[in-house]
Amino acid sequence: MNEQDDNAFEMRSRALFQDSVEGLDMRIRSRLTQARSVALEGAASRRPWLFGWKMWTPAAGVTAAAILGVALMVGSPFGHHPATMTDAQSNFEDLDLLASSDEGSADAMEMLQDDIDFYDFADKAANPGPAA
Amino acid sequence: MGRFDTLNTAWMVWDNPAPAPEGAVLEYTRELEKFLAEVERRAFRMAQVALRDPDDALDVVQDAMIKLTRSYASRPSAEWRPLFYRILENGIRDLQRRRTVRKRVMTWLPGPKEDPDHEAQDPLENVADAAPAIPDRLMQAQAMQQLEQSLRALPGRQREAFMLRNFEGMDVAETAKTMGCSEGSVKTHYSRAVHALRAQLGEVW
Repeated sequence: MNEQDDNAFEMRSRALFQDSVEGLDMRIRSRLTQARSVALEGAASRRPWLFGWKMWTPAAGVTAAAILGVALMVGSPFGHHPATMTDAQSNFEDLDLLASSDEGSADAMEMLQDDIDFYDFADKAANPGPAA
Repeated sequence: MGRFDTLNTAWMVWDNPAPAPEGAVLEYTRELEKFLAEVERRAFRMAQVALRDPDDALDVVQDAMIKLTRSYASRPSAEWRPLFYRILENGIRDLQRRRTVRKRVMTWLPGPKEDPDHEAQDPLENVADAAPAIPDRLMQAQAMQQLEQSLRALPGRQREAFMLRNFEGMDVAETAKTMGCSEGSVKTHYSRAVHALRAQLGEVW
């Protein structure tokens, strides 16, 4: 198997693939056009996300830990006011609400992403870079 | 805080942003449409090679289009292609994982075994063809079918590298960006893919 054979193989497979793309039937072509229209409908109306949400998962973990810390402080007997059983219960209900969002829930992630986008936007406004 | 005196002021501007100039939105929507129209058929075929089922392939392509337009439309257009294909490949991999799980579950269930991948061979496919002369078109279709089967048998990363470099025509750097690995890894995956495919398909293919 030499390099020349490899090149011939690559060219042949590319040509075959291209033929198969051009030979797609009308049903598939039409469904692809529909899919494109659906995707583009959302493009103009949404605020751009800075990055994918997965990139921010570690930040979400830190935020959740911070919220937990604050909640425990407020609910503890060392806080500014003596915590009652009702206060503590309410704090845990809040935590439960935060934690009960499905992993991967679009709403929860969207809210998180909005906040992250906002802080990036505020940071860029505070430190404007050189004009492009 | 620069432009904003307080964080509250920044939040107010964020919550009520000045609308993007209509012309700009129209411009990038038009560019996006052009980009998607250009890649959609190849993307569909690549998804179909990996997944076999055309409806599944359509679903992952549509998902990739939606994710790209919703999350990355404002990114420079040069970044769209690697982003789009990375989203597409993630979708393909997710679906393949779900199928594997489903297959495992099915083997534990009593009753007649359903093939969730529709992988069962059609007996007619194994019947020898009596026609001596096969038209070129049919020969090409058969050759492509053999190539698809061999591609499906490759490890995922090799298949991905081969399709992006060979079918989509990406250079090594763009493929590396799409696959999220080094250029050296792309070269290795691609070279292994070519040799494995040639070994599987034989010299006569």
